[in-house]
Amino acid sequence: MIQVKYFGMIAEATSKEEEKIDVGEKPFSEILSEISSKYQLGDLSYQVAVNKKLVSDFSKLQLEEGDEVAFLPPFSGG
Amino acid sequence: MDRYLRQITLPQVGNIGQEKLLKSKVLVIGAGGLGCAVLPYLVAAGIGEVGIVDGDRIEESNLHRQVLYASNKIGNSKARESASILQQNNPHIQIRVFEEYLTQKNAVEIISGYDLIIDATDNFFVRYTINDTCVALDKPFIYGSIYQFQGQVSVFNYKGGPTYRDIFPEKDQKVPNCEEAGVMGTTVGLIGMIQANEAIKIILEIGEVLSGKLLLYDLLRNEQQIFEFSKVEASQKAKIEPDFEFFSAEEVPEKQMMLLDVREIGEEPEIKLENYIQIPLSRLEKDLEKLDPKQSILVFCQSGMRARKAAKLLFEKGFQNLSLMSGGAKDLEYLQNHEEDLS
Repeated sequence: MIQVKYFGMIAEATSKEEEKIDVGEKPFSEILSEISSKYQLGDLSYQVAVNKKLVSDFSKLQLEEGDEVAFLPPFSGG
Repeated sequence: MDRYLRQITLPQVGNIGQEKLLKSKVLVIGAGGLGCAVLPYLVAAGIGEVGIVDGDRIEESNLHRQVLYASNKIGNSKARESASILQQNNPHIQIRVFEEYLTQKNAVEIISGYDLIIDATDNFFVRYTINDTCVALDKPFIYGSIYQFQGQVSVFNYKGGPTYRDIFPEKDQKVPNCEEAGVMGTTVGLIGMIQANEAIKIILEIGEVLSGKLLLYDLLRNEQQIFEFSKVEASQKAKIEPDFEFFSAEEVPEKQMMLLDVREIGEEPEIKLENYIQIPLSRLEKDLEKLDPKQSILVFCQSGMRARKAAKLLFEKGFQNLSLMSGGAKDLEYLQNHEEDLS
């Protein structure tokens, strides 16, 4: 299981601020696209952090049990 | 002078620290919700020169969060009004007013006069102008922004550190501002205060600066989280986009432009003008022959997102004289209400 946190507009799209997901042996990119299509995040812009570090290269990343993934959209209000 | 005595007493400040504050020049871009929180504390702390950039005027719907402004000042310039109040708070420092919006045209001239820049805007596109200008001029800038009850703060381009583009490289993003998403005064107040605090830390060279770190503050849960990020290799960054000039609806008559509305058919308000054509973004590529590549074209939509996409598409198809309309709903209303003047 991994912990997924959603912020800003993303949390509005998912209607939740966090959830636990069973990911098994799936590669990270596959998990991301599953979340994106489940909540229709395609139109939104966001960055993904794993264990509080922003990820720029998804291809090599393999999640481990207990990892925390965060969806961070840009904010614009001021 | 007793004014700064209590902060000089702090071992991290002292007389040397106070001297640093008095010698520093800080530019605050945006005198709205964040700016109204950042500015009084910088001024009170004795920052030697504070610049305020804002072309906006005070509206009634600003007053709940832009706490520097009194009800009887509606309609006044935010930059001028905030400067006049702040100068009374501390007459011993310089306050410089730039009664204009930051644009790609004036950014270098304005930013180059300051050591440290604070991004207190609510405009996504201006943020990229601030970022890119600060990178070009080697100035650190303190970013702050909010979405409803959450805020983000980070310090970019600090001592060669990562920049906004290392987190969000793409300009084409659908991000609502306060007008669209709503905002509480306390949220911008707290986030602005964190920005001011980072500014003071940078000037005094104390503590840990939020460089390479994005602070996310959830005010409903009182939770702060810090996300780390680093520089992204230039090769991975998005291609530099063409830069488009921005105009407001009021500037249209003198510019002799074709107004291109890329909203979908049926979107309100309906606009009827002479130099006007509506081609929804979804049909633009198919309907290119309706446009003259040599004609000067001002593209607009509801929020500016589709207009930018459309302008990029046209640019790639060889159109040269492209610009965007800046003000979204306000501009649309202006076009609708000034049909006779503009035709």
